[in-house]
Amino acid sequence: MARSNEVSINESKQMVVPLNTWVLISNFKLAYNLLRRPDGTFNRHLAEFLDRKVPANANPIDGVFSFDVIVDRATNLLCRIYRPSDTDEPPNVADLEKPVKSESSSTVPVIVFFHGGSFAHSSANSAIYDTLCRRLVGLCRAVVVSVNYRRAPEHRYPCAYDDGWTVLNWVKSRAWLESTDSKVHIFLAGDSSGGNIAHHVALKAAESESGIEVLGNILLNPMFGGELRTESEKRLDGKYFVSVQDRDWYWRAFLPDGADRDHPACNPFGPKAASLEGVKFPKSLVVVAGLDLVQDWQMAYVEGLKKAGKQVKDLYLEKATIGFYLLPNNAHFHIVMDEIKKFVSSNC
Amino acid sequence: MVPYETAAIPIANPPATSSSTTTTTTISKPPEIDGLLAGAGYKVRSSDLRHVAQRLERLETAMLNSPSQHLSLLASDAVLYNPSDLSTWVDSLLSELNQSQSLPSLPSDLSDLVSNPTALDGSWMDQQLPPPTAAIHNQQPSQLTVVEEDSGIRLVHMLMTCAEYVQRGELSLAGSLIQDMQSLLTRVNTGCGIGKVAGCFIDALSRRVFAAGGGGGIPGSAYETEILYHHFYEACPYLKFAHFTANQAILEAFDGHDCVHVVDFNLMHGLQWPALIQALALRPGGPPTLRLTGIGPPSPDGRDSLREIGLRLAELARSVNVRFAFRGVAASRLEDVKPWMLQVNPKEAVAVNSIMQLHKLLAGPGLDPAHRPAPIEAVLGWIRSLNPKIVTVVEHEADHNQPGFLDRFTESLYYYSTMFDSLDACALQPEKALAEMYIQREICNVVSCEGPARLERHEPLARWRERLGRAGFRPLHLGSNAFKQASMLLTLFSAEGYCVEENEGCLTLGWHSRPLIAASAWHALPETAAVSPDVAVVGGAVM
Repeated sequence: MARSNEVSINESKQMVVPLNTWVLISNFKLAYNLLRRPDGTFNRHLAEFLDRKVPANANPIDGVFSFDVIVDRATNLLCRIYRPSDTDEPPNVADLEKPVKSESSSTVPVIVFFHGGSFAHSSANSAIYDTLCRRLVGLCRAVVVSVNYRRAPEHRYPCAYDDGWTVLNWVKSRAWLESTDSKVHIFLAGDSSGGNIAHHVALKAAESESGIEVLGNILLNPMFGGELRTESEKRLDGKYFVSVQDRDWYWRAFLPDGADRDHPACNPFGPKAASLEGVKFPKSLVVVAGLDLVQDWQMAYVEGLKKAGKQVKDLYLEKATIGFYLLPNNAHFHIVMDEIKKFVSSNC
Repeated sequence: MVPYETAAIPIANPPATSSSTTTTTTISKPPEIDGLLAGAGYKVRSSDLRHVAQRLERLETAMLNSPSQHLSLLASDAVLYNPSDLSTWVDSLLSELNQSQSLPSLPSDLSDLVSNPTALDGSWMDQQLPPPTAAIHNQQPSQLTVVEEDSGIRLVHMLMTCAEYVQRGELSLAGSLIQDMQSLLTRVNTGCGIGKVAGCFIDALSRRVFAAGGGGGIPGSAYETEILYHHFYEACPYLKFAHFTANQAILEAFDGHDCVHVVDFNLMHGLQWPALIQALALRPGGPPTLRLTGIGPPSPDGRDSLREIGLRLAELARSVNVRFAFRGVAASRLEDVKPWMLQVNPKEAVAVNSIMQLHKLLAGPGLDPAHRPAPIEAVLGWIRSLNPKIVTVVEHEADHNQPGFLDRFTESLYYYSTMFDSLDACALQPEKALAEMYIQREICNVVSCEGPARLERHEPLARWRERLGRAGFRPLHLGSNAFKQASMLLTLFSAEGYCVEENEGCLTLGWHSRPLIAASAWHALPETAAVSPDVAVVGGAVM
């Protein structure tokens, strides 16, 4: 598998990531190489062995505590709920689901979060995502509901979307998540495949006439694609932890057998997708990393939303790589956190 | 290749507000560990980061030069350990790749429950990082199902209030609250869910508050305990996982030894041993001579239950041509056992196996150590003196030994709720009902007993790590092969919802992301020689 290692000296001066970030993401990259088999199967046991997980913790740590809830026993669908706490004391067992309006007279956003992992990796209790969700609680003074959706290749499209939809309905129907106006203020958020899931769950909410209103979508480096090879894919292939070949593998693992990458799940504004015009779709914040090879598809997504008359803010971070939001050791991280905070609070 | 910053970055531990680890409330982390990576679950010394990065680059090159079939085979066959220790992890992958590139290996056949003892590529590596200092896991994760009834929530509120009264010594208030709860209980479904758990805890509280002489557990004979234990074994996978994981580690530790001796701290019905006997029988090169010393309570009314079990195991061993000898050691408490009773031969490879026994040896915190030193230290001391090749330890992953009653009560409420929830998935009767009684007894002991009567002094893995480390033991890591087989067995034989997790060389079994029991393996450094902790003990070789 020939791959160009060439990097011009100009580029090498610019594209620096902090050393610990590099170690973290490179480790993921190489471990993931071991897990994907050429025949399309996935070494799930080794994946679970390698994934660093953390249990839920009802003791407040830095003002956040968490607990797990089974939302649907039939599919073992689990969510990890994160709540803010003003004390160091662990909540009473019965207070885990204490009404949010009893603790805050202003509206409390509920962020339904879908972790990344290209549909195949990670879980709601992966350490990196537990950390990220905790940050979101503090940042937005929100309750975060992290969905442990079913993953590919064992569970293909539309399982992850179905799980997201189940949780959205569950969240909507929790009285304890209502703000003082007796409504649950719901945002959807996700990174990588999680961003893709957030889009499709919001779409389903809008199209289904369920009455479920999603106030906003936050998509961090969302995973989209298409049959066409875009310029960014060609230019950045293999350069920053990600290759076109691995992206193709994950789409083959997630999409239905026989589908190609123009399937609407992968390419929501592509030739096979239905138009969004007239659909009451929420406002979106789309964060694009300038060193992510998928960026052309992400920008096409932004364009697609704009053309359909939907409100969207895109945040293009020229020097960011994938996963920059996992560790708070770079400027992009802080910029994005600020934007997310503004995006969520402008509704509340 | 993405270059990383070449200037040296001082990576200090970040201030606690931004990115502290979420799992441990550490009092102090070793200052060299990169705090951000620790939050992601990886332990790397800051000073090692550059080195690890370089090794990752090497690894990438090596992987690029391997055909992808090779990589998949490597992933399936290589036994890998402790992914948190990135430095060792990357190096072991590199050496695996180098080996597999010269000798293509065939996938091993894992159709039976026994691992292929020849797939021992990994060497037992002692941890190279210093053990974390004073990291006390204060986990109280909750796995309560969503409570639909208001009565259920009210019961929980009342339970917590009652526990507070007990902690404050206001027993009459506690007593009347118990009566209220008992009447509320009649309006709640006690067959499952929160009703069932509440019922157990109300019962335990009432024993504590109303029992004459202050506190008492559920009385029962050793015989009854055995029956309940057996049904608990059948109804859910916790004990099976414990046995299986320990056997796997023992099997590997015994590799290359012809005379082996297992000391079982709690023989019960000897349920753990048929699988080990069979695995040893199938060992390439032939089985060793196996001695088993089983410790258990003396049997009443003239029966010698230890001997009966020994005879049955001997029959099994005979049928598979394993030379076998059994000895029973009757003792009502583990601390009454003296090492000479075990008659360990210095030429044998010894395995000490403790499934849910060590916690019974913990003196309650607060007891004056001058009067009665904790039996745990003495027992760990004599275990060490046996120079065992391996000590397998399985314990509840919970802190039920906190001095404050309310903390203990709360933690056990979370813990046992989760365990009961997992039992709800079991359909077998009467196994399920008797398993629930088994658990109920534990709850009673945790909640209503004090002093020497309180035996169920569970402590979490982090504390056992410290304790065993102080006593001169070093971890033997359980690897990806054990993990995989445990996961596979669970999928085959248990309800969905159980999960095995890797925790820095140990394995935990839990229900829906809450670990409930933890399995670990240890060996002792020789007491005489001043050996550096970095000695690698290759599986089976005598030091």
